Amino acid sequence: MDNILEFIDVNAGYGRVQILNDLSFEVKKGEVYGVIGPNGSGKTTMFNALLGLIKPGSGRIIFDGVDITRMSANVRCKMGLGRTFQIPRPFENMSLYENVLVAAVHGSAQSERFAKDHALSSLKLTGLYDKRETRAGELTLLDRKRLEIARALGTDPKLLLLDEVAAGLTDAEVKDMMELVASLKDSGYSIIWIEHIIETMVGSTDSLMCMAQGSCVISGDPREVIESEEVQRLYLGVEDDE
Amino acid sequence: MAKRRLKGGNVRVLDSLPMLIICIALVSALYFVCLARIASNNSMRYMIQIFLYITMAEMWNLLSGFTGMTSLGQQLYIGLAGYSVAVATTKLHLTLGLGLGIGVAISVVVALVMSLLLYRMEGMYFSVATWVVAEIFEKLFLNWKYVGQGSGMTIRIVPYPRIHEICVVALTVCVFAVATVYLLLRTKVGLGLTAMRDDIGAASAVGVNVFNHKLLVYAIAAAFTAIAAGIFLVNKGIVYPESGFSISWTVSLIFIVIVGGSGTVGGPIVGSVIYVFLQEYLARFPGWSNIILGTITILTILFLPKGIVGTLQEKLGFEIFSAKRFSYAKHR
Repeated sequence: MDNILEFIDVNAGYGRVQILNDLSFEVKKGEVYGVIGPNGSGKTTMFNALLGLIKPGSGRIIFDGVDITRMSANVRCKMGLGRTFQIPRPFENMSLYENVLVAAVHGSAQSERFAKDHALSSLKLTGLYDKRETRAGELTLLDRKRLEIARALGTDPKLLLLDEVAAGLTDAEVKDMMELVASLKDSGYSIIWIEHIIETMVGSTDSLMCMAQGSCVISGDPREVIESEEVQRLYLGVEDDE
Repeated sequence: MAKRRLKGGNVRVLDSLPMLIICIALVSALYFVCLARIASNNSMRYMIQIFLYITMAEMWNLLSGFTGMTSLGQQLYIGLAGYSVAVATTKLHLTLGLGLGIGVAISVVVALVMSLLLYRMEGMYFSVATWVVAEIFEKLFLNWKYVGQGSGMTIRIVPYPRIHEICVVALTVCVFAVATVYLLLRTKVGLGLTAMRDDIGAASAVGVNVFNHKLLVYAIAAAFTAIAAGIFLVNKGIVYPESGFSISWTVSLIFIVIVGGSGTVGGPIVGSVIYVFLQEYLARFPGWSNIILGTITILTILFLPKGIVGTLQEKLGFEIFSAKRFSYAKHR
C-alpha cells in the first residue's frame, strides 16, 4: 500500500449547502502534501470530512487501506489521524507536559506510565521540552502552534493534518515552522498541510494540490502546480480583485 | 517539609504522603468530636449540613467545573432519594441503610436513562432540560396519592437515629465523596476530565471519549447527591414535593462552588462552610437572604472568577488535592 490517504469522488457539505464536489486526491506515505486554494474553496471542509466531523453524502475516504467514510471521529483519532486547530486551542490551565500527556493517554490508549516517554519525545521534537512545566496559557503564538503539533504527535498519528500552522507568524517564525515540518517528515510522519503562504508551500511540500469550489483543480509537483495556468488565473485573479 | 519546590514549574503541590497524614488526622478529629459528643447538638446540626453540602457541591463541581455539564436539576436526585428513604422506612418498614441504598439505585437508573436524552443537548439546553425534568418529577409526586401528594411524607424510623449518629454517617459520606473526586482526578479519566474543563472540543480532538466521561461523571454525581440528600432529609424528618424537588438546592450548590472555586477539589469544601454559616446569619433578614447570596455570587464572578480556593492557588502557586502531573515525578 503506497497511499496513506485516498479521497474518491467525495461529496460533502453542511446541511443543504454542498461544499465538496467530487473531490478526489491521494497522499503518498511519508510525503508532505500541501493544499492551497482561495478562501471558501473547501480546504477546511476537506479536513472536517477527513476527521469525521461531517459525513460525506457520497464518495469514499480510504485511510491506510481502510475505508473510514462512516467511522466516528473518535475512532479515526485512535486509528492515527492527528489534527491541529487553525486557531490554537491549548488546555490553558495545564502545563505543556500535561497537554501532550492527555493526547498520549487518550489518543493512543496507553496507560500513563507508558504515555509519559511518548509525551516527552513529542515535546522534544517540537522544541518545547525546556518549557514543559509552563502553563499553556502563558505561551506565545509560535509556541501555541508548536504545542498544537506536539499534542497531535502525542496521539501517535500516521497522518498529521496541519491547518494553517504558519498563518499569523513573522517571517523568521515561518522559517522555524518550515524546519519543524521538515524534521517531522524526517521522523517518518505523513503530513497534509493547508496554508495560504505560497512560497512556504513550494519550499516545503513534496506534492501540492490547488482546490477551488470543492474540487481539485490541479495537483502534482509544487512548482509545476504554482506555475500552471489554472492556478495563476485562480489565485492571482482573486488577489487582483482585492 | 510537605511542600517541595519543583524546578521549572510555577506550581507546588502537597505531596501525597503528608496530604494523607493531614487528612487522616483531620478526619479522625472530626469523628472523635461526633462520637465522643463533645460538640453540642446545635453545632452538630451545622456540621451535618456542612458535610452534606460538601458532598453535593463536590458532585456539582465535577459536573459543571470539569465536564461543562452545568446541571440545574440536581434536585431531581435529592427528591428521589428523599422519597425513597421515606417510603422504604415509613411504608415498607425497611432499615434506613436499605432506604438510602434504594434511593441511590433509583437515582443512578434515572440518571442513565436521562443521559440518553440529555447528551443530545449542550450548554444552556442541557441546563434547562435538567431543570425541566426535575419540575416534571415534582408535579408527578404532587399528584401521587401513595406518597401523600402535596403534603408529602413524614419520615418515621424506629428507633429514629440520634443526631450524633447522623453526623457520623454524614461525615463518612463526605469523606468518601471527596476521596472519590480526588482519586478519580488522579486516574486516566481524570486527566481527560481536566482537559475537558479547559476545552471540550480540543479534548475530543486528541481522543478523549467525551461521551463516556460525561456518562460516568453524571452517574457518580447522581449517586452521591442522592445519598447525601437522603441523610439531609432524614435529619429534617419530612419530605414534600416543593422541598425535595426545589431548584433552590441547586442554587445553593452553585453559590458554594462559585464562591469556593470551580474546577478545584478544595473549593466546594470552603464554599460549604461559608454557605452554612452565612445562611444561618442571614436567617435574621427574611426575604433578603437570597438577594444577598445572589449579590455575593455576582461579585465573586466579577472580582474573583476562580473563587476563593482558585485565586489562592494562583496567588500562592500552591495546590492541595492537586491533580497535576509532573514530567519528572516518579511513576506512581
